[in-house]
Amino acid sequence: MPEPAAPEANPAPTHEWHPLDPRVIQLDRIAGLIVTLVASAAYASLLLILWVTTELSAVALLLIAAGWPVITIGFAALSWKYPALDYARTAYRIDEDVIEIRKGVWWRSSVHVPRSRVQHLDVSQGPVERRFGLATLSMYTAGTHYGHVPLRGLAHPVALALRDRLLPRTSIDGV
Amino acid sequence: MASERRLHPLSVLFEIGGSAKELVIPGLVALFAARTGQMQWQFWAMFLIVPYALIAIGRALTFRYSLEGSELVVRSGVVFRRERHIPYDRIQNIDAVQNLAHRLLNVIEVRIETGSGGESDASLSVVTREALQEIREKVFSARGQEVSSDTGAMALPEASRGRVLLALGPRDLVVSGLVHGQGLVVIGALFGLLWEFGLMERVSSSLFGTVEESGPIRQLAAALIGRGNVSAVRIVAGVAGFLMLVLIARLLAVLRAFVRLNGFTLTLDGDDLRSEFGLATRVTATVSRRRIQTLEVHEGPLHRLFRCASIRIETAGGIGLEQAQTQREWLAPIVRRSDLDALLRAVMPAADLSDAEWQPVHPRGVRRMFVRYSIGSIAVSVVVVMLLEWWTLAVLGLLLAWNAVRARKYIEHLRWALTDSAYAVRTGWLRRRLTVVPLQKLQVIAVTRSPFDRRVGMASVHVDSAGAAMMSDTLDVPFLAASTADGLGARLTAHAAASTYRW
Repeated sequence: MPEPAAPEANPAPTHEWHPLDPRVIQLDRIAGLIVTLVASAAYASLLLILWVTTELSAVALLLIAAGWPVITIGFAALSWKYPALDYARTAYRIDEDVIEIRKGVWWRSSVHVPRSRVQHLDVSQGPVERRFGLATLSMYTAGTHYGHVPLRGLAHPVALALRDRLLPRTSIDGV
Repeated sequence: MASERRLHPLSVLFEIGGSAKELVIPGLVALFAARTGQMQWQFWAMFLIVPYALIAIGRALTFRYSLEGSELVVRSGVVFRRERHIPYDRIQNIDAVQNLAHRLLNVIEVRIETGSGGESDASLSVVTREALQEIREKVFSARGQEVSSDTGAMALPEASRGRVLLALGPRDLVVSGLVHGQGLVVIGALFGLLWEFGLMERVSSSLFGTVEESGPIRQLAAALIGRGNVSAVRIVAGVAGFLMLVLIARLLAVLRAFVRLNGFTLTLDGDDLRSEFGLATRVTATVSRRRIQTLEVHEGPLHRLFRCASIRIETAGGIGLEQAQTQREWLAPIVRRSDLDALLRAVMPAADLSDAEWQPVHPRGVRRMFVRYSIGSIAVSVVVVMLLEWWTLAVLGLLLAWNAVRARKYIEHLRWALTDSAYAVRTGWLRRRLTVVPLQKLQVIAVTRSPFDRRVGMASVHVDSAGAAMMSDTLDVPFLAASTADGLGARLTAHAAASTYRW
């Protein structure tokens, strides 16, 4: 029975693909910005070290120096564009039996988590996530490679509602 | 029966013995080296083991366990007291180990494993046979099973109940040693020792004469391409010596098999698989069939030469130190090809693959595997050519031809099958592996497409299970046509969702 899918409060009616909360794009862009700054600074330091300590010719140094704006602009452009692409490509769907998560821009994956295999669930918020009102829903299974399946970029109330909805229905553990 | 029990008084002796055993090799080395004047500090560092041993002894003395109504409670720790509750129905395996000392003194070391891995395991070292029997009775009655009573014989309390699935005789042990060949470990240790004592230089210089490069491997390589002034006789002697070493390694492995696997017997008792083996150290390892997550059949080139196979199982306890120590890695270290199917059906009834329809993967996978193999070859050749002569590039040609063959054979042998009760994957060409997972043990299913996959319309299906090794990929099927992959993923997911998971 489809219910209105207001992304803020109502988590997930069945059989529909739900995107993440759009605020995750900003979150990822900020993370990307930090990475850009670090990479840029590292490259600049490397350049400085090469200039001071080695005997490279001016031409070689200029060539390497030309790499710095490339690196900086490259990382910055990537940090700007990639989160939007990633957001467009990420979605989740919940029906009676399975939680399906689709993600990936270049390496695309479709992860199917049978609801009967979910051992327990966690909702967590990093400090930056908290400021954006986002949270990560972590699903734990008995598997090894996919023992932990995170679904990040959910609005906090949505994550909580999902957790309550997905809690293992029976208490038969059977270890 | 909630009274507290202590470990056997002789546990203290075994703790001391355990610590002392770790000192024997380093002690000998240090002693030997002390005479030559080197390595003084290593000798004194050995005394650091004393406080460690004292703590272990203290732990043995203060260890208490009690068999409550529905759980085993273990209290241990000298300074920080730790209480661990293990419900009986969480217990996956109860293993019993007896080495020569244990047998002389009539005690047993018991290891209890649960599904959640190392943290909630318990090790009782040492207790009496009666204590082990008591624990087994409690656990099995909680599970609702009958337990055999102690026959009072010299053997461990696991009496001769149940159907013997596999019994290895001397010929089988010889084959096992030759096939698994872990004698190389000893050879490696020998090399290490030689290096430590600086004998390596002397050995290689006498073999290869004076060559500019240092180090025996480089000397050999240089000698082979004619840079050194080494006679052909010396080269042949060197290679023959190496082959001799390999032979000795295999013989050592056979010896090792005789010691470790002597009297290997695999018995099916109700739902429990019990393996007993060992000459000096007698081990009894029990695992319930229900706990088996995946089953792997290994067939390397040597296996095929002797027409046999090895079977490994994975349980939810995971790959930890415990599992390696109780040697449950090999459910059947060696089994004849003719007996294989019957054994598989007994161990995992769901793995009846007699009417499985084996599906191949997309033939374009050959090209992609060839590219994968060749990237490494090209990189290596470039380095080799830069270091040595230019004509060694011819080796690249040979490597590429070999890669082409390998890629084709690999894709030919890559198959998957989905029956009503299990999912199976065959991988490998030279070292063949068949991995089976019952549908009830499926965990997460993932269908992935790399950029290369997307370009050619392929996808991979990855099936997750409990207790797999982190780097294991034997349940992965790459190079499937995209529609096939999606269909398979959907079917596997439906099967997994339809079954409740009982560990």
